[in-house]
Amino acid sequence: MGFFDNLFGRRERSAQVAKQRLMMVLVDDRYKLTPEMLEQMKLEMAEVLSRYLPAVDPEQIEVTLLRGEATDYLKADIPLKRGGE
Amino acid sequence: MGRVITITSGKGGVGKTTTTANLGTALAMQGGRVAVVDADIGLRNLDVVMGLENRIVYDLVDVVEGRARLRQALIKDKRLPELCLLPAAQTRDKDAVSPEQMTELTNQLRAEFDYVLVDSPAGIEGGFRNAIAGADQVIIVTTPEVSAVRDADRIVGLVEAAEKGPPSLIVNRLKPRLVSRGEMLSVDDVLDLLAITLIGIVPDDETIVTATNRGEAAVYDPQSQAGRAFVHIARRLNGEEVPFPALQDGQGMLERLFGMFGRRRS
Repeated sequence: MGFFDNLFGRRERSAQVAKQRLMMVLVDDRYKLTPEMLEQMKLEMAEVLSRYLPAVDPEQIEVTLLRGEATDYLKADIPLKRGGE
Repeated sequence: MGRVITITSGKGGVGKTTTTANLGTALAMQGGRVAVVDADIGLRNLDVVMGLENRIVYDLVDVVEGRARLRQALIKDKRLPELCLLPAAQTRDKDAVSPEQMTELTNQLRAEFDYVLVDSPAGIEGGFRNAIAGADQVIIVTTPEVSAVRDADRIVGLVEAAEKGPPSLIVNRLKPRLVSRGEMLSVDDVLDLLAITLIGIVPDDETIVTATNRGEAAVYDPQSQAGRAFVHIARRLNGEEVPFPALQDGQGMLERLFGMFGRRRS
């Protein structure tokens, strides 16, 4: 998405930026999980997943926090390269 | 027995006092007996917002320390005989009162009023803890800004830890046009981030400034959009089902169009 935005010279709306930044800040505030730790976590997730699935790119993993009333959820989107070279 | 509802926010300047004054007035207009309590000891403000600053004789700390009876310290509103203010002390600091004393005080008020609205100071320290001590319900006010939402989330955690039940949320000073351009957090965004129940959306409105200048609640002004929003919130507190205005539906649609996090959970 970032790639196409740059390609067409379109800037992401500030509300969306605010929401993403806040999401990260709230994870940090609530779970003491810093952005650096989150990056490290993605690397390690990729490492574990790569044992079972070919071609998981840690750069492509997107981790977000979903808030629920009593429980929060960590949601990870992990794209798999098709054909698995 | 009345209900004790604390209005709080974490961040200062998001509209707690305006919200307390308007909800108190609206609830009294709807026939409730209402006491509003300024728990911001040392930074008294609810009195000026309500235009009652010239009538103060005794304050909350005088009552707690036994220099005045509750009846003597309560100030009757200019227009609504069923609306009373208990002002904060101006010359003391927040440590003048303990959570136990606040609970005792709100319990006394609860016996005589249908609603006791407590205006909390900003912050997460003693003053805030005093303000929520006797609460049956907590309302968190936020604006759609990163700093206010972040602080609201801290408050959500503290209210949950204090076992006050799930807090409800007022999103204040919303600018629908900015939201529709994607340049302000929408109500849905804020709800996704905080995951608490919405009780009101108050649009940014200049009539709040003029009403506050005069020391009159905006809920008296039929032209005031913010005033109408506060009336709606008061009706919801009264147990009425009042639909949220269309501006939120519009946002929901946009949200889905742009939708990255778009799904709402409950």
